[in-house]
Amino acid sequence: MSSEERISRKLMIAATMLFFKSHRSPGVRGWELKNRLGKNYMKVLELLNHKLNDLGLQIKTVFEDESNQDLDRARFYITLTHSLTMSDLVTSDYRIDEVAALAIALSLIFSRGGKTSLRDVLEVLETKFPKWKAETYIERAIRRGYINKTEDDILTVGWRTRVELDQRELLKAILEAQPQQEKKTEKEIQEEKQE
Amino acid sequence: MSNKIVKKYSREEIERIISICENIEKRGLDPFSVDVKELLFKLRKMLGENPDLEYYLLDAETIYRIATIIALQHKWLTEKAKSLFIDSQLISSRLTILDKKSIVQAFLKAWRPIISISQLTPQRLHYGLEHFLRLPPRRDERKYGWKFTDRELELSKIYLEKEREEIEEKMKNLYSELIERAKEKDGVDYWEFISKPSINETYDRAYILSFLISEGYVEVKKNPLKNELRLIPNNQKVPRRNTTSLVISLAGGAR
Repeated sequence: MSSEERISRKLMIAATMLFFKSHRSPGVRGWELKNRLGKNYMKVLELLNHKLNDLGLQIKTVFEDESNQDLDRARFYITLTHSLTMSDLVTSDYRIDEVAALAIALSLIFSRGGKTSLRDVLEVLETKFPKWKAETYIERAIRRGYINKTEDDILTVGWRTRVELDQRELLKAILEAQPQQEKKTEKEIQEEKQE
Repeated sequence: MSNKIVKKYSREEIERIISICENIEKRGLDPFSVDVKELLFKLRKMLGENPDLEYYLLDAETIYRIATIIALQHKWLTEKAKSLFIDSQLISSRLTILDKKSIVQAFLKAWRPIISISQLTPQRLHYGLEHFLRLPPRRDERKYGWKFTDRELELSKIYLEKEREEIEEKMKNLYSELIERAKEKDGVDYWEFISKPSINETYDRAYILSFLISEGYVEVKKNPLKNELRLIPNNQKVPRRNTTSLVISLAGGAR
């Protein structure tokens, strides 16, 4: 097998490992990639990242411990390189209300040093949603891995948030946002009717 | 008597300090809401007034709690620096003023969702249906939500049964073919075995073979030096004790 073929095969293996969910949650550990791709796995990932960038995707590395950047224990994910638009969101699995609730909860957690009480978050959420909806959205965010909840009802940042969200960018965007006249989309009207 | 009252008062004071520190740590409150210098001053004064073992122990615990608060202050400052020192009250009031759509638009600017692919095989679907049917019924019959009619249940069972039979038939044929080809040989090369002129057929054979491997009818031997995968059929099903996943990229290896 020529070296070009070997590299091409390694790229395909890396892409398969990163795209397909082989565990409960997505992402692959560094040591798993090392086992399949060899010790130069970071070079393969760099090459793959370059190819993925053309498609608007990127490989994201999340270290278990930021102070000790151990690549073998880090998790690697594929994420989008660009932000989604409102119309992308309407056609996705997420509801606009759910994303709004998630944004509120995470902004509060970030602004309070990475930790806040569930009561404080619900207080703000209840200015926008009925209580039962606010609680449902928080539960859903916990299930999806965006938020962690301790036994004392304290909310902290979840693993998915660490991968998908830019903390600074979110707070900056919240401060810069201008309130709009709320215009309901057809999907929202239908959802409300169903409820 | 008055000395006892002073002692009790001091003890309560120390316990109050401990509880304040614990509360800040557990509830994630602002660690700068306590004056560490003042706490230490009070503690020194109380210890001077009560030089006995009980107070030394309480003092050690209080010092530990105060040290935790100092560590939290350090973390708080780091987090604040990361979030550009944005005041939490300001964020709360902004969130209250903003409408849902503007909040979502702000969120989308900072959000880069993970891309991943999930897969479901007919076999897994079958397990799912079996599990669903085994669930105990609710107290009364379901009055809302999606409900299976008897006809739908019957159809889904027939469909899944047909799928299962088809896969089992294919597994049987592929297993016999593999046994035939592996006769008097030390296994068969994986790529040689699955490769067919049509790509669909190749994928189909790889898919069915994966079931034979998982079920324990076929062993896979990997030689990393030669970059070779060999299939060795078992004479009968061998129960798997330790399983591991093996990723094989067909596009990378198909010839």
